[in-house]
Formats: sequence, C-alpha cells, structure tokens
Amino acid sequence: VADRPRRPPSPRRFGIVVTLVISMMLTLFARLYYVQLLDPDKPTQTAHLLHDGYIVVPAARGLIVDARGRPLVQNTSTQEVTVDREVLQKLPDKGRAVLSRLAGLLGTTADRLGKEITPCSPKVPAPCWTGQPYQPVPVLSDAPTGVVLTISEHREQYAGVAVQTVSRLEYPYGTLAAHVLGYTSDVTAQDVAKNSDLNEADTIGASGLEQQYDSVLRGSDGKQVVQLSPQGYTVSYGKRIPAEQGDTLVTSIDLDVQRLAEQSLAQQIRDSRKAGKPATSGAVVVMDPNTGRIIAAASYPTYDPRLFIGGISAADYRRLTDPAANTPLLSRAIAGEYAPGSTFKLITSSSLYMHDQINLHDTYPCPGSLTIDGRVKTNYDSEVLGPVTLENALGYSCDTFFYRPTADEYYADQSRLAKGKPAREWLQHMAAQYGVGRVPDVDLPAGEQAAGSYADRETRMARWKANRAQYCAAARRGYPEVKDQADRTYLTQLASENCTDGWRYRAGDNADMSIGQGETTMSPLQLALAYSAMLNGGRIWEPTFGWGVVDGRGKVVRTIEPKVRNRVPVSQKLFNYVTKSLSFSRGWAVSGAFAYMDSKYRDRIGGKTGTAEVFGKQDTSWLATWGPTYKQGGSTRARYVMVGMVEQAGTGATAAGPMLKRIWDGLLGPSPIVPGAKPATTLPHVAPQVRVVRR
Amino acid sequence: MTLVARDPRAPFTLTPPVLPLERRTRGYDLPLAGIALVLSLAGAVLVWAATKESSGQAFLYRHLLNLAVAAALMLATSRLNARLLRLFGPVMYLGSLFGLLLVLVAGSTINGAKAWIRLGGGFELQPAEFMKLGLIVGMAVLFTRYRDDRGEDEPPTTRDVLTAGVLIALPIGLILLQPDLGSAMVLGCAVFGVLIAAGVPARWTVGLLVVAVVIAIVVVKAGVLHDYQLARFEVFAHPDRDVQGIAYNVHQAHIAIANGGLFGRGLFDGPQTNGGFVPEQQTDFIYSVAGEELGLVGAGAIIVLFTFLCWRGLRIARAGDPTGRLVAVGVVCWLAFQAFQNIGMNLGLTPVTGVPLPFVSYGGSAMFAQGLALGLLQAVHRRAFD
Repeated sequence: VADRPRRPPSPRRFGIVVTLVISMMLTLFARLYYVQLLDPDKPTQTAHLLHDGYIVVPAARGLIVDARGRPLVQNTSTQEVTVDREVLQKLPDKGRAVLSRLAGLLGTTADRLGKEITPCSPKVPAPCWTGQPYQPVPVLSDAPTGVVLTISEHREQYAGVAVQTVSRLEYPYGTLAAHVLGYTSDVTAQDVAKNSDLNEADTIGASGLEQQYDSVLRGSDGKQVVQLSPQGYTVSYGKRIPAEQGDTLVTSIDLDVQRLAEQSLAQQIRDSRKAGKPATSGAVVVMDPNTGRIIAAASYPTYDPRLFIGGISAADYRRLTDPAANTPLLSRAIAGEYAPGSTFKLITSSSLYMHDQINLHDTYPCPGSLTIDGRVKTNYDSEVLGPVTLENALGYSCDTFFYRPTADEYYADQSRLAKGKPAREWLQHMAAQYGVGRVPDVDLPAGEQAAGSYADRETRMARWKANRAQYCAAARRGYPEVKDQADRTYLTQLASENCTDGWRYRAGDNADMSIGQGETTMSPLQLALAYSAMLNGGRIWEPTFGWGVVDGRGKVVRTIEPKVRNRVPVSQKLFNYVTKSLSFSRGWAVSGAFAYMDSKYRDRIGGKTGTAEVFGKQDTSWLATWGPTYKQGGSTRARYVMVGMVEQAGTGATAAGPMLKRIWDGLLGPSPIVPGAKPATTLPHVAPQVRVVRR
Repeated sequence: MTLVARDPRAPFTLTPPVLPLERRTRGYDLPLAGIALVLSLAGAVLVWAATKESSGQAFLYRHLLNLAVAAALMLATSRLNARLLRLFGPVMYLGSLFGLLLVLVAGSTINGAKAWIRLGGGFELQPAEFMKLGLIVGMAVLFTRYRDDRGEDEPPTTRDVLTAGVLIALPIGLILLQPDLGSAMVLGCAVFGVLIAAGVPARWTVGLLVVAVVIAIVVVKAGVLHDYQLARFEVFAHPDRDVQGIAYNVHQAHIAIANGGLFGRGLFDGPQTNGGFVPEQQTDFIYSVAGEELGLVGAGAIIVLFTFLCWRGLRIARAGDPTGRLVAVGVVCWLAFQAFQNIGMNLGLTPVTGVPLPFVSYGGSAMFAQGLALGLLQAVHRRAFD
C-alpha cells in the first residue's frame, strides 16, 4: 500500500459521479427534445382561450327633483362589505380563518358566509352567489362604521375582504309622493333577457316615474374588463370604463303642495273616522289647468318606497297589496276608479247645453223624486227645490233636474233605433270627449292609470253576452251566503233581471249616468283633467309629471311638454256660465262652498261637490275645485285645479270640502307655500351632480 | 514582465497598487465563474419575463441584487485556506442546524412548507439551503481529519461512517419535518456523492441507501408527509388526473414547454407565460419560461451550461487536496441533482418537490448558498493550481 504510486485518487469512484452527472444531463436533454419536437400528443396552447369577462360597476341612478329643484329621490353613499372568493381560494386554509373572523364581525356563521359567496350552480343550492364567479361578492350592505373600521384597520386579518362605497337610492322625504315616484327593484334574469343593456347588478325602475323614465334615470354602467383563464380565474385586468350616473328628472311636483296634500288627506281620513265613517282611502290631485302639469298627486293609504331597496320581503309585499289593508300600493289618484257622482254634472251640462236640450235662462223642475221606467229616483235626501235654472241646479246639486232631459234623450234614441237609425248617445259621446273611458296617457306606466268607464247600448249588450250564463246561475242560486234578507232579495232580483234583460240599456241608466252614478267611473286625475278643460277653453291634456331632463353637468337635455289630446266641443259661454254658477262667492247657494264660508279667498275659487252612492258602502265624498280665478279675454281662467276624493266618508261638502280647504289655505292663505301663489313656470336650476364613485 | 518576476532572495516583495488582471485572477477558475454568471444572468432575464406582466421589473432588480450579494460571498469564500475550511465546515453545519431548529419553532410557511425565517424588511432566510453546504463541508472535514495519520487513500473508518450517519440524519430529519421533501432529496444526493468520493465501502453506501428507502417508506406510511406532497407523487404517476388542482402547475408548464418548439416563441412573447398560466413560474417553474420563449435551443443551452459547470467542478475535484476533493464532489452532486430534479419536474420527468433551479430561479437564500458553494470550489482550485 505504501509503495503505491501517487495518482489522482479513486478514479473508479470518480467515474461513478461523472457517469451519474452525464446520464442525468443526457436524460434531461432527451426528454426536452422529445417534449418540444417529437411528442405526438403535444398539449395544445391554452393562452388563446383567455376570454374577456367584465365586472359591472353599477351606475348611480339619476335624481328626481321637484319643480323647484328639491330632490325627491336622491343617492346616498353607503359602505358595502365584499368578499373576493379568488383571494380566499389562494390562502393556505382556503380562507376559512378569514371567513370565521368576518362571520364573528357580521354576526353570522362562517358556514353561511361560505355558502353565500359560492357561485350558484345546479349542484349549489341557495344561498349562493348569482353573479360572475370572479366578481367580489357583497355580503353586507349598509355596513355600520364599526365593521368598516375593524376591516380597514386589520387588513391583514381580512385578506380578500374589502369595503366599497356604493350608491343607494334615498328618499329624503320618506313616503312623500311614493305612488308617483314609484319604486325600484333588482334586475332579474327576465329583465336581462328583454333588454341586453341591463345587468343583474343593476337597479331598474319597477313602477311610477322610476319605471316610466328608467332609461333616463338608469345611466350607463361602468365596466372593468378582466381576462379570464379557461377555468374562470382572473388572469389580468383590462381597461376600465367608468359608470355614468343617470340624468336628473325634473318634475312638476311641488314638494310643499304635495306634502300639504298628503297631510291634509291623512288628517281628513282621521277626522272622518272620528266622525264614525269608515273613510278607507282617499286621493288628491292638484294640477295646472293651463299647462297640463300635475303639481301634486296624493293617495291614502301610502307605502314606504324604501321597503323595495335591495328587494322587498314577501310579507311586506303581501301587506302592501292586501285588500283588507286597503291595498296601499294602489295609486288612487291616478289608478283608482270611482263613481264621480255630481261632479260629473259638468259633462252632463255640457252635453245637454250643446245639444240644445236645455238653455241657460229657463227654469226646469227639480222635484224630490222622479219616476223613470217605473222606478223612483230621488234627489239626495229627497230635497225639493221647485223650478230652477241650470245655475242653481249645479249650485244646489239637484239630481232630478238632469234626469228628465237625459231620460228624454234616451227615448229619442230608442225611437231612432225603432226607425232603423243609429242612436245618438250624446251624453256618452260628451263623456268620451272629456276623456272618460280612455287612459289619460299621463307619463306613468300604462298599468298605473285608470281609464274610467260609462255604460252605453253596445257595451251593455257585449257584456251581457259574455256574462249571461253567470247571471242566470246566480239568479237560480239566490245568494244564500248573504245574511240580510233585503240585500239577498235585491241581489237575486238583480241577477234575474240581468239574466233575462241584461242586454237592455234603459232610460234609468242614462239618468244614472247624468249624475255620475250607475256604471260611470272616473279617476281623480280624470276629473281634474275634465275641470281643467272647463278652465282652459276646452283643452283635454295628456298630463305630465316629468318636466325636464337635466344631465350631470346641469345642462337641460330636453323638456317634457304635455300634449293637448283634444278640445271638448263645448262653447266658452257654457264654461263661463258653469264657472260662475259654481263660484264660492255665491256662498250657501253652492254646496261646495260650505267649508269655505269664512275664507278670505272664497270669492276667487269655485267648486263642485259629489256624493257618490256605492252599493253596500258609504258614500264617496268628492270635491272638484279651481282657483284663484282670473279673467282672460272673455274667459274665466284659474291657476289651479284641485280634486279631492275620500271613500266612504259622506257628502262632498263634509269630507272632501275641509280636506281641500287646508290645501287652498296653503296656496292662497296669508303666506302662500308656492311663491307668487301660482304654479312655477320655468324649469329650476339643477346643480351639477356630485359623482358617487363605486370602488 | 519586469515587476512580476520574483527574486526568492529579495527581502520583501513589492505589491504594486494596481495588479494586472492576470495576477488578480490567478488561481480562479474563470470558466466556472463565467458559466455561473451566464446562468444567473439568463435567470435574471427569465425571471423578468415570468413576472413582467404582474410585477414589472421588481423581481428582475431583486434577482440582480441577490446575484451581486452571491458574487461577494463567492469572492470572500474563495479566500478560505485549508485551516479556515476546517473551521468553515462545522460552523456552517452547526449554524444551519440551529437555523433548522429555529424554523420549526418560529418559521413562516410558504407553499405549505415551514422553511423560512423572517428577517424583517421583506427578507427571508431558508436554512436548508445553507445546510447543504454545511453538511458537505462537514463530512469532507470529518472524513479527511486523520488523513495525515493514515494513508493518503485510506477509506473512512466504520466510526467515521457512523458519525457521518448521525451528521446526515439530523438535518435530513429536521428538513423532513418542515416538510421539504425536495431539499431532503438534494441533501441526500450530495451526501451520496461525498460518500462515494470518500471511498466509503460499497456496503456502507448501499446500506445507507437501503436505510434511506426504508425511512422513506416509513415516512409515507406514518403520515409525516402532508397530503399535498403525496398528491404530487400521485400526479406524477397519473399526469392527466385532476388538471385543476395539483397537476395544474405541471400541466401548464408542460403546455408552455411543448409549444416552445425548436426556437421558442421569442423572448417575452410566450403566451402561456405572459398569460400568467404557470403558477410559481419565477421560482420552481422558471425553466418553463426558457422552454416556451427560447425553445429547444435556449432550454437545451441551459442543460449544456449545467453540464459544463459540473465538468469544471469535477475537474477541480480531481486536482484538489483530499478535503477539497470531497467538498467539490459534494457541491457538484448537489448542483447537478438539484438541476436534474428541477428541470425534470418542469418536463414531467420527476415529481414536483419545490426545489429551485440553481442560479436561474428567483430566490435569495438559494443564490447565496450557491455563491458560497462556488467560492469553496474556487478556494479548492486556488490551492490546487496556485
């Protein structure tokens, strides 16, 4: 061993290492060569499979302001807590710790949160996330400051959790004008199917002005483009299109008048109930007869549009549509249909005068009762006035005055029919000219405005054909469920009559229509439009709430002008006559003036009462008023037309009278709530919007 | 010429203030340093290519900073003489062992392994990287301790081998507890090289291998390994299974490399790379960037460079003194196996075990340890050739 020559040590062992190294490197190279050049099953490139997705940044909705620029609907910014599922997935524990911490903070369970942020799929039942899988999921809206502070101060403990500012609708005056403004709802899949511009992150106007002017108010959503891997993971962020807030809708509603109308309506309901009346509901409409713009529209009962923000609960919705609670969601001022009672006499007078059935200087009888076709028809409380002119027939509201000529008109038509000539149906045609039986085309959704109705020969026949079987069955059955003997007899008799003679239009029907009873119905808005025509030379407006659209910079995009639908074929002479006849300056001679006897402005306003009888219910109380009057040329004009209606509250003079008086007090009293005591005539200045930015 | 000539009788030598380049580099293996530098710079470019979409130049700068520190460490280590080397081994070993213990107590977890010590300021240290050096040098010192008493080429005694066994078992055990299977395998391979080069009898070497296999089986059965580690082996056995989960990395790297072809898609133009499809691409899967963007030519060049690196290392080993030889063989086995393991897993040849590609991958601790390793090779070279 000792004499072994000195040589490079252990060549064999070195050889092992060299061989290992060389074989490793050769293996690598061979594999590389195979993978890159030889492999027949080369995996295909997936990078081109990247596709664009986008995260929608919802635009803040536009404001709705009143005629003086005061916001009725505006935006407020709230804090929303979101969870980014992708970030959680990348954590070692898949975000379990973060979720349980967050659950503790929000007062829920980690399990529940985990479900909420999992994208929905056939295998994943609710609760689950309906949005895009790569989109951060909102888990708490309206986050309290404590939660926001905790999350932002301990960011490291809340990986993937973010707080963002979102805009949300706010109603600064609560329920004010709720029926007109309408409510919003979250966009559903059906909405998206109908309109591809929509996104499920959006809010859409679902009723009222919010729905009618949705395209104006919605604005355009912003988009954050993201590149997604085929697996749906975000790979990179692309360009970002900022959201554009919707334009502002200026309405002709005057906040002060609207508020006063609602307060007065609510107070009248309370007062009438105190007086022992059911007073289930009511409505007030205030409009400018000269422009066709609606200044206030109040309905009772009302609802809180805030219930609809972020989706209304089923229980709340049931409550709002429950007939037992008088259907608070129903906009009675515009969508309610009621027998107008004596307020209809404007239309009857127009028809009778224009067809020379009466004149303005002769007197006509006003007996306590009148028998038409074997049926006794009476005045209200069977009052006897003797021979009266039209002036007093309107002022004292005599019904029998109108029965005779309208019954005569019926008989004349019948003899025309017997001779093979068509019936004239003057009264019906005049009602149609005044807009009865056709929706007023106010700028609200078509389903939210009532058309009103009246009976004529043709509709009577058509309805009978459709319902005959039902009437006859009811007559045979005889209403055993009705307790009251008299009611049961009446109903059975009615059904029996309808069964055999239901097609027949009778003289009594025409007489009923002349005093706004029978099958005659109108909405408070329609009545306001009819009386507006009397005070504007006969123009029937297609009325509006919307007045102008103003963009984010405060520039007027367009103004909305009410259109004249038609002119009623009535002479100015009659309008002046009726206006004079019903002026409250006549004091006790005008039934509507009773509540206004002490008012300083009494001489400047006028009005017609209505007390409509409804079978099985108490009378509907109506009052249609106008004022302050002024002369223009030879015509009497008015700044406002105001119609009030309270269901089941008694006579027009006792319920609607004092209700509207409180509003007139505000408009014409010593300190008018509207500057100049007349409707605003110019669009208000709308300040440029302060942008509410999301994220 | 005039100044370089040295008169042995001269009472003192004059060292000129500025040495000519050949004098300053004398004793260094410049090709070795050159190859490492080329690999590291290629690494810098590839790291940049992998991260430019998401992080701009941040990773590029940090990689270059790591490289500069590693170069300084290499220069410092290359000055070690035999005596200091004997000191360096145990100090490195004990220091790293302490580090490994510290990691278990207070380490931070990245990608499932508790392998890092947080230093603050965003810097983290991975003791396992330094343990590779410590163990190699420690064993080299152990086996050549009594070299002067015994014959030049005597194999280590049984006692030495048993001592070595304990020295090996401690760190590998600690690393497996992290658990960092890749580092343990690299460590085992480096040790295997040292044992072979030291002339340990075949029965011991084979015996240790058997023990290692038995331990591996026990480890798997006893559940020391985490589910994800077993899953990685599962994926290795069935590459088409579960593309979404663990196999995703491997699959994406495979797509990238396979579509590189002969010349690649062009630097910075790899669609899979730029699309961010390959996770951990700047560290463990850096090779897939080379495969996709530089093709067979570029990716093959990296293998060739590693082959040259190993050749230079083995050349140094062959010429070195006994201790230096063992150190050099150990370092070469370490780097070669780590490169094999890393490139192999990029190519779907070996299981995914989270080891970086030496010099090329982004990562401070690995780069520093490799700088120290090259420094040791240079030190061995200087003594052999100076």
